[in-house]
Order: sequence, then C-alpha cells, then structure tokens
Amino acid sequence: MSIVRDIASVAKGMSITFKEMFEPTQVENYPDGPGPMHGAQFEERFRGQHVLQRDENGLEKCVACFLCAAACPANCIYIEAAENTAEQRISSAERYAKVYNIDYNRCIFCGYCVEACPTDAITHGHGFELASLNATSLVMRKEQLLTAMPAQPTTPTLPK
Amino acid sequence: MPTLVSHPEEVKIVSSRFGKGATDIERYIELDGYQAARTAVEKGADWVIAEMKTSGLRGRGGAGFPTGMKWSFVPKQSEKPKYVLVNGDESEPGTCKDHLIFLHDPHTVIEGTIIAGLAIGAKMGFIYLRGEYRYLLEIMEKAIADAYAKGFLGKGIFGSQIDFDIISHTGAGAYEVGEESALMESLEGKRGIPRIKPPFPAVVGLYGGPTVINNAETIATVPHVLRMGGEAYAKIGSERNGGTRLFCLSGHVERPGVYELPMGYNLKKMIYEIGGGIRGGRQLKAVVPGGSSTPVLLPNEIDIGMDFDQVGKAGSMLGSGGVVVLDETVCMVEFALRTIKFYQHESCGWCIPCREGTDWLKKTLTRFHAGAGVAKDIDNIRYLAENMLGRTFCPLGDAAAMPTIAFVKKFRQEFEDHLNGKPCAYAKQKMQESVLV
Amino acid sequence: MADVTLTVDGKKITAPAGTLLIDACRKAGIEIPAFCYYPGLSLQAACRMCVVRIEKIPKLQTACTTPVAEGMIVATDTDEIKQSRKAMLQLVLANHPLDCPVCDAGGECELQDMTFKYGAADSNFVDVKNHREEQQWSPVVYFDRPRCILCYRCVRVCGEGMDVWALGVQNRGVSSVIAPNGGDHLDCEECGMCIDICPVGALTSDTYRYKTRPWEMTHVSTICTHCGDGCKTTLGLRSSSDGMEIIRGDNRDKSGINGDFLCVKGRYAFDFANHKDRLTQPLLRNAEGKLVPASWEEALTFAGQRLHEIRDTRGGEQIGVIGSNRATNEESYLLQKFARSVLGTNNIDHHRTADYVSFAKALAGQEQRAASLREAETAPAILLIGGDPTEQHPMLAWNLRTNVRHNRARIYVVNHQEIKLRRQATSFLKISAENYSAFTRFLAGEENSIFGAEATALRETLATEPNLLVIFGSELRGAAIEALVRYGLSLPDTKFACLGDYVNSRGAADMGLYPDMLPGYVPVQQPGAFATEYGERFPAAPGLDLPSMLDVAARGNLAALYVVGSNPVHRYGVAAASLKNTFLIVQDMFLTETALLADVVLPIANLYEKAGTVTNTYGDLQLVRKAADRAGVRTDLELIVRLADTMGADVHALVPFGQGTRADMGQSRGAQSGEADRHAVWLAAQNLEPKLSPFDPSALLDEIQRLIPSYSFSRLELFAGNDQHVQATSKNNALVQISNLSQRPDGVLPSMDTLFTSGTMGRYSSKLTEVHDSRNKEILVAAN
Repeated sequence: MSIVRDIASVAKGMSITFKEMFEPTQVENYPDGPGPMHGAQFEERFRGQHVLQRDENGLEKCVACFLCAAACPANCIYIEAAENTAEQRISSAERYAKVYNIDYNRCIFCGYCVEACPTDAITHGHGFELASLNATSLVMRKEQLLTAMPAQPTTPTLPK
Repeated sequence: MPTLVSHPEEVKIVSSRFGKGATDIERYIELDGYQAARTAVEKGADWVIAEMKTSGLRGRGGAGFPTGMKWSFVPKQSEKPKYVLVNGDESEPGTCKDHLIFLHDPHTVIEGTIIAGLAIGAKMGFIYLRGEYRYLLEIMEKAIADAYAKGFLGKGIFGSQIDFDIISHTGAGAYEVGEESALMESLEGKRGIPRIKPPFPAVVGLYGGPTVINNAETIATVPHVLRMGGEAYAKIGSERNGGTRLFCLSGHVERPGVYELPMGYNLKKMIYEIGGGIRGGRQLKAVVPGGSSTPVLLPNEIDIGMDFDQVGKAGSMLGSGGVVVLDETVCMVEFALRTIKFYQHESCGWCIPCREGTDWLKKTLTRFHAGAGVAKDIDNIRYLAENMLGRTFCPLGDAAAMPTIAFVKKFRQEFEDHLNGKPCAYAKQKMQESVLV
Repeated sequence: MADVTLTVDGKKITAPAGTLLIDACRKAGIEIPAFCYYPGLSLQAACRMCVVRIEKIPKLQTACTTPVAEGMIVATDTDEIKQSRKAMLQLVLANHPLDCPVCDAGGECELQDMTFKYGAADSNFVDVKNHREEQQWSPVVYFDRPRCILCYRCVRVCGEGMDVWALGVQNRGVSSVIAPNGGDHLDCEECGMCIDICPVGALTSDTYRYKTRPWEMTHVSTICTHCGDGCKTTLGLRSSSDGMEIIRGDNRDKSGINGDFLCVKGRYAFDFANHKDRLTQPLLRNAEGKLVPASWEEALTFAGQRLHEIRDTRGGEQIGVIGSNRATNEESYLLQKFARSVLGTNNIDHHRTADYVSFAKALAGQEQRAASLREAETAPAILLIGGDPTEQHPMLAWNLRTNVRHNRARIYVVNHQEIKLRRQATSFLKISAENYSAFTRFLAGEENSIFGAEATALRETLATEPNLLVIFGSELRGAAIEALVRYGLSLPDTKFACLGDYVNSRGAADMGLYPDMLPGYVPVQQPGAFATEYGERFPAAPGLDLPSMLDVAARGNLAALYVVGSNPVHRYGVAAASLKNTFLIVQDMFLTETALLADVVLPIANLYEKAGTVTNTYGDLQLVRKAADRAGVRTDLELIVRLADTMGADVHALVPFGQGTRADMGQSRGAQSGEADRHAVWLAAQNLEPKLSPFDPSALLDEIQRLIPSYSFSRLELFAGNDQHVQATSKNNALVQISNLSQRPDGVLPSMDTLFTSGTMGRYSSKLTEVHDSRNKEILVAAN
C-alpha cells in the first residue's frame, strides 16, 4: 500500500510541475529588458535610493531639522544647516540644508528617515543600482538626491 | 443727563436724592446729608461695624460679601497706613447704577467713604472712577472740594480729632481693573493686572497697607444704613440679604431703567410690572440676571426673588444687578458672540486660560455665527469654557466662561440650527427689518 | 523656620514653613510642571500649569503661590488635574506655531516636553493663528512673537535679576506681547539671560540661530575664559574640518558657581576661537626679517637652542618670562618652575590686575577669611569699596542683587564713580579716586576731615555689622589693603574678596608668576622647600618685574624674553624698537602687537581647548575641561615642556608624570553616551589615574597640591565639576615672614575692561565687537 501512496504523491507533485511548465514566464528580464528600467519591476512601496523633494514653488522641502539624522539607526545622514536670506531662498522655512549627505555604504533602507521627516522632504525612490567599486562615490550629496526642478516653476512666493 | 425713571413699587433709599440737585453740597445737607458721618464720628468705629453687621448689607459689586464682616477683617493695628478704596470702575455690561450715583449724589459716596475710613481707622480714601466716566470726575472733584471747604474732609473732620482725605482718580478704560487687586495696581500707576491672593487686600493692599475696597453702591448705601439704623435696613430685604439694591433693567422691556427695589424682589414681576413687559408684546426668550458675566435664565426659571441666595439657587448669580431681558428676536449665538467679544477685548492677557480661551471662543463663535460652524464646534465651545472655569487667575475668566456654558447648555438647539451653513433665522429677520426701515 | 508636614499624593513630606508648595513637592521628587514659575524670581501664577487639588479648597490651586501648611492634603496627579493641564497646553498650542523642525529650542523646549507628557498634541481649533513677524532686538537677541507663551520669565529676569528692565509687556489680552522698553531695540547689558530662561524658542540668539539642533552638538561644561568670576559655561560643539568648532555658549548646565547666570562674554564671546586670523602654524623670523610659517620641529628646536645658548652664555638673569592671566594653574605653575629651574631666572611676571600679594600678606595667619563668590549671595552685609562689578564682575553683581532681593542684604557701596550697584545699595558713599587709601585708614578710626558726616555714619553702621563681607577693587593696593583688612579683622567674622580682572589672574598670582614670590606667596628669599624642589639653577635673589624687564630690554640688556599668552607691548605701550636686541618668543593665538615683534611665534590653544584648573579672583578653584579643538595649535603646557626638552632639561624633574600607575586598569571603562565617566572621575580624585604623559596637567596638580598648603581641596569634588574654595594663605604661611612689602611696588595695571571688552582677546571676538559697536552707536545717537 505504501508504494501506491508514494506513487500518488509523486504524481501529485509532478502534476503541479507540469502545469506550471505551460504557464507564462514570471522571471524579470533585468537588466536585458526594455525601457529605462531595463526590465526591473517594482512594488509601489519599494525603498530605494532617497529623493529629496521640492514643494510646488520649486523650493526645497527640507528645512534641516536633523530629525532624519537623529532617527537614522545607521548614522548615515550628515546635514549642515544654513539660514535662508531674502536674496537667496532655498527652502520655504527659515533654514535649509546647506549640506545633505547620505552615506549609502551604511544606509540600511529602513525608512525611518522618511517616517521622521516633518515636511515630507525625504522619500524613498526606486533607485537601486547603487553598486560601486569606489566606496566614496556612495556618499551622495544633496545635488544627487534632489528631485529635478519642476519643468515650469511658478515664481517662488516669498513669505513677507 | 439721562432721564430718570420711577415706579411706585420702588423703595428709594440710595436713589432717594436722585434728581434733587444733591450734587450741590448745601442741598445735600438739606436732604439729611453728612448726618450719618457726623453720628459715626461721635459714636466710633465699633458702633459703625456693629450697625453694618446688623444691616446684612452685602457687597453690591457682584460677590455679595457682607460689608460689616469685610471691615472687621482689617487689622486694628498696622505699621503701614490703611486705606479705603471705592470701586467705581463699573464696567460690567448691563450695569449702569454707579454712574447715576456719581451723577446725582456724589456726596453720599464721600460720606460713605468717610464712614468706612472711620470704621477701619484709615486716614485716606480713594474714589476710583471708570475710565469711561471721566466726565463724572469733575462732579466728583467739585463735591470733594466742597466737602473740604465745609470741614467734612481734611484735618479734624466734623470738629473731631480725626483726619481724613479723599482723592478721586479715573482708570484708563479696562474692565479688568474692576477686580479689586487690579484696581489697586492701576491706582499705583502700574499695569492693571490682578495680584496673587493671599495676601488679601484687608492685610496687604494699596501701597502695601491694609485696604478695604467696596463697590460704589455699597459705599453709597452706608450713610443710609447708619441713618435709618441697621435693623430697619435689614427688614427691607429678604433673609440674609438686607436692604434694597439698584437694579439696572435693560434690554427688550417697555420701560428700561435703574430701579431701586428691595432685595428678593421677584424677577418676573420686575420684568412684567416694573419694566412694563416685553417690548412690542413679544415673547420672553431669556434673562441675564446680574450683568453679562452671569449665566442666562430661561423664561421658566425667572419666578425667583432677586437676592444673592435665590438667584444662586437658580443656577445663576445676582452679580452687579444688571438685568438684561432678551425677547424672541434675539439670536442666542450672536448674543454669546457679543458677550465673548467683550471679554476677549477686556482680558488682561495675564494668564493662559483667559487670554487664549476668550480669543479662541471669539474666533470660533465668529466663524460659527457667520455660518461656517461644524458640529464639533459646539462641544468645543463648551469644552473651552469649561476648561477656563475656575482655572484662571482672576474671576474674569469665569465671567466669560459661565455665561458661555449656559448659552450652549440652554440653547443648544439654536447652536445646532446654525450648522451646515444655514443662515440664522434671526439674522434673516433682522435683515428684512433693516431693509423695511 | 519650623518644619511642617503635609501629604502630597499620599506621601508624607516635610518642608520648612513658608516654602512654596511647588518647591516642597519638587524637593520631594514630585514633579509639578510650570512655565511661569522660576525659582528666585517673583511669582506670576500666570501659566496655570502647576494647579493642584488641595483638600477643603473648592477650586484648583496654583502650587507656585501656595505656601505649605501643616496637615495640608494635596493631590497633584488626578485625572482632573491632568485634564486641566492638558487643556492649558491646548490653549497655549492654539496660537503656537508648529515650526518645531526649524525652531532653535526644538529638542530642549519645555513646551515640547510638556506636550509629550500631557498629550495635548491634538487640537480642535481650526481658526487662523495670530502671527507676527520675527524681530531683531539687538545684535544678539531675536524675538519670534508667535512662539512666545507669555510666561514673563524674560521680563522678570531682566528686571529683577539683572536690574536692567529692558523688557516689558505691551497691549493686553491676546495681543499682549513682550516688547523692549526701548521701542524696537534693547537697551541692555546683552547678557542673554532672557534667551536662556525662555522655556520655548521665542527668544533666540544670533550666534546660534538656525545653525544646528541641540542633539547634534556635543556639550562640554567648562570655565569661561574672560573675567575673574570664572563662570561655568556650556559649550555646544560640532566637528568641523579642522577640529571641534564651538557653535554655542550657554548656561545649559546650571551646576556651576554661577547658578542661573551667564553674561554676554560667557555666552557669545567664544567666537575668537573661530576667528579667521587665528594662528595655526608656528612662525619664524627669516633672514629678511619677515615672519614665515615653519614646522613645529623647526620652531621649537630653534627657540630651545637659542634659549639654551643665551642661558649658558649670558646667564639666566638676562632672560625674562611673562606669563598669562588666562592660562591654567598648571601652566602658570609650570611656567614659573621652568623659568626658575630650567632658565635659572627669577625674571618672571605677568600683567597684574590686582594686588593679591598684599592681600595674602594682610591675611597671613588667618584662616577662612577669604570669601567665595558664593558668599556674595548669602552674606547679610557687604561693603563694596571700589570696582564696578556690573561691568567687570557681572556674576558678583548678580549675586549681590540676588542677595538683596532674597535676603534683604545690606550693601554699602563706596566708590569714586556712580556705579550701577548703588541702586541696590543701602548706602552709597562717593569719594574721590585718590582717597581710597585714606578711606581705609578712616574706616580703621583715623579721623580725616575730607570725609563728612555721611562717611562717619557709614563707619558707625559698619561697626554694628557682624559677618561683614568686604569686597574691594583694584583701586586698593598695598598699604590700603593692609589697612582695610586690619580694620575688617577688628570686626567679628568679617570676610574679604579682592577683585582682579581675568579668569586666572588669581591663579597666576597663587602660582607665583612674580619675580619675588614663589607659588603660595612664599618669598623668593625664604624659599623653604622650593630651594630643593627647583634644583641648583634656582636663583636666590628676586628678579625683575614686568616693567623693569621692558626697561632693561630697551637698554639692550635683556637677551631673551619668553611671552606666554600676553600682550605687554600693547598693554604697557612698549616701543617696537626697544625689543630689537631681545630674542623674543611669543606664544599666542593671534599675531598681536607683541607677536609681531617676535622671533618665534608659537600658536596656542585657548582655555576652551585644554584641560586644567583655574582659580577665580575669590579663590574658587574649578576644573577646565577640553571642549573645542583646533588643528595646528598646542597648549601652553605642551609647549613649555617641549621647549624644556629641546633645551636638554630633565622633563621628569619638571613634570612629575609617570606616577600613579597603581590604577586598576581592568576596572576602567569608557563613558556611555551621555553619561559622565564616573570611574575616571573617581580614579582622578583618588590620585590613581595613570599620568602617562608629561602633558597631563593633573601631574602638575599633584605638585601644586603638595607644595602650596592653601590649595587644599577635595579632588573628588573638583573632578566631579564642582568649585572648591581655596584660601589665599594657610595657617602655615604665618610662619613665613613676608617682609618689606610696603616698599614693594604693587605693579598693578587694571585692565579697565567693560562688559563688552576683554583685553586683547576681546578684539578678536566679532560678536563682542559688534555688541560693543552697536552700543556705542546708540550712545552717540542718544547724545545727538
């Protein structure tokens, strides 16, 4: 009886195998796929390389509150703050981040910085091609993290 | 000069000299003036305090503290000079009685001050007039000058060994200064902000000296009490509420005015008989029994005697005697807003609950009345008021909170009618009326 | 007063009668929140946060205005109270902007803390908040109205605490606003106390605004490098490309001798350390006579060899040494030891700002007669002769004012100027500047017709004052000090304090930076133990004082001059040519007038960049902690040792290092983050820490403690960061005969600094200069 039972279970297993053989392929064809993503597909909430956002006026949302740096368990965020002036306004609040570095050698993509951000300035993008042969190139500066200026920025309205 | 009103039911004691030219000192003396002070000088402080205690006279400012008792709290011996302070900073909306006293009978205030000074052993009295009553200062100052000329004030008053001086002064127009310790600060030339109590003024008051501070009406009553005897005065009013008081009947009644009635006089009777009923035969909607800071009463709650205890039992306060009658055309939300606007404007800004509370009440009510209210605003208004009540530095916060709570509690339906951007029925009516006019 | 017992939250607590309930509770560990209540200032009862329920009283009561009473039963933590506090916070927050992410106070804000505690973060208010623009009130004070919660602490600390009254309240009700009484700007001493005391971020300082967040900085409490009061200042540090940069000075750590107080210098005048002209490389004068950068090796070898050569060829008496008022005790001690035992000269002096020698002499043989700065806050009566504490000793002035306010102390001011402290004084006597000496004799009983009835009355009043504290300024010197002290000692329990100008002026004097005095005011002629300690080069005769050294140099007879952290060329008005024949080594932070003439310039660390101890002018010994760091500079201590080394001296004899290695190394552990390294403190206190380096100042502290008997203090207290009072003299010093002092020139040159100047260093503090200039501008405007 045990032989029959064994054959039955093998047959059951193989039936699944054979059924799946004729299903369409699920493998992502990265990096040989088409398009700018080279075939990579992402879940909506994939946590990739950070993006620093701008507000509707094109001003940086980051106000250099240091909360992301404080929340970061890997201690990979480095910020230097500076004050906005009437002539040069970078962010909409009094202060902006003069230097904003994320060290991707250390970042663990936990998303705590995004949680901590009071102004929704830092978000996780989908960038994941972060491999490098040069560790120093993994310290990304603000210029590399900032989202592009809106195509046609409205004139920044300065608070009085 | 405003027209004086009169009603046969009135018992004229404080107002007995109104309209009789008593601003003139000769005329005042003719009308039995300065007799009480002279008697008091002869019989001494203990007699005065005993008479006051018998009379059951309670402070007319609002709190209703027995006057005789207050005077007896002042220490007999004091290193610092003692003072008598007359609180004529009558600012409670709905109240206009002290105004008449200063206008028609300034000498009773002076006489009362002399007696109070005598009772506590003070050598100096101050009469503090409301900032907006600046025009009364002339009358007051003339009266004081006349009294000096007659020897009723100054060195050796009434031919005795006693010295007594009086100075009159006006505020700069702040409701807050009606609070006794704020009044003292103001008189000392500082910002009109209440003081921390204890110490109470009877121990450390004006310029650090023991001070008795009484409402102008109380002080004006004192000579009459002494003249007619404490017992006789006590008989006039109801139990534990001696004498008469000036009721300022205003609002939607046929005959508004200041009436002097015995304590414990029925409120309903006051509105319908003395005041001649509701204007234009309309229905009564609500009554504010003692100035704008007292909780509103509904028509079914007004069959009560107007004394401190009975009104208190009805869930309100006798306050300063300003009875405001509202008829059915009044939008209670607007009335609440109007009340709060006043307190927001008059808050001194010292403590958080009053400063921020009145402002947010005003902001919320303004928006609410304009039709942009949401359901939770109603509870929010009540929450705000309830969290101000009893938590503020001085009674001003309570004065704003108490009526607000009553408005929301008693007229909740009307608040709810304002929701959802619906125009207020009363406002609509008002608009139509103004168009017709 | 008798103690009363009351019950708070079911716990029996005892407090002296008259104590405020809030203080009694806090002392018993029961937290009562408050914004407006601040210990030592007048009561407000405005914030209504401290409400408690007291049995038998219908309304909630404010704990900050209720004195404790016997048998009182108090509840502080019921739901009703929590709700009341929550509602109060909701009301405060209703108008408070939610800009915590950019607010300077974020992270150290009392409102934030309380909101977390009482959970008032939700708001039902949807209407628009009141807004006002930010204002700048002075070069250092900014005011952000919407953040203000109107606790009136700033108004009170400015008025009551500082006696400046620059702030007030305008308008009423919800439009109430804190505003300067000077209209749009502050007419004040710029002390920044208003910023310090502000529970929220309404008042912020220009130096720190929007720079960083509190948790991003390292905080180190050390001693302010400016005046002779020696306040503790907490420096906020951030790593920079060349070390640790100071970005904030404040009084966050209120554990210092200064309590709540810190003045403009302690708070803002740290920026000289970041000045662009700061030297970070040694300079050598080249063949063309120009100062050019050199390596440390080159500079030290050159300087050492030249000194060695000059000592051996021309003798130690041809070498002069000038010490500093801002160096640590250890450095000053080492400098004089180096001069006496290595250079073989007694030509050592410093810029003297008070006559401590006469003070020590006058007090010789007395014990516990020199007062601590703390005693100015408790003494029942104070006689202040000369000096202007408000300008030169702001901490002393604060203590005196506090004493008057809290204890109704009687202050008797005698001065030639109408100093500001006369406003707190019981009596003020104006005498002319040249009559101080005569006045001290007058006090002692000598009749003098120049002093009128007022002075006589003062003398009679003073005779009735037990426990008098006599504080005198640098106007009094030599015989005047002796006369004053003799007079004071004739009264019961009198104590004294002598006012000098800089952070370690007293220390420099105590450490023997004198040509005729050894450490502890031991005369050079009777060196006692020092004779053997300092070896064979130690000359027996007193050397030249500072002016004489300069004179001798001008005559071309001073072969070398070693100047450490001092600027005598500017201070004493020396002509540049007079030093041309002298080999000049200057250790300084900047290219000062003196450094410009030097042959070798060695860049040094300032007091914020090194460790050690300093003694304030009252004799309070305090620990200096290394806070900042700057690449390219070295401490005076290191440089002296290295110089001695290049001269071939025995470094072990100079610095007794390498001892105390009995420490149990296995027990030591690093400090956890945010925690004091208690083990290290204990080791240091027990004298067990391994002093493995000759640059370790504690090795020298051992020697100081050993050789100066009056420096007896608890090492545990010192290393735990507490001030320790040391006396000018000890009983043993009575055996030493300080002779012919009256003929000795005192050589005192008061620095005449104000609140906004601080010697040569003050010039390099941009903030101090800015405040100073804006102040002068105001005075000019006012004059016009």
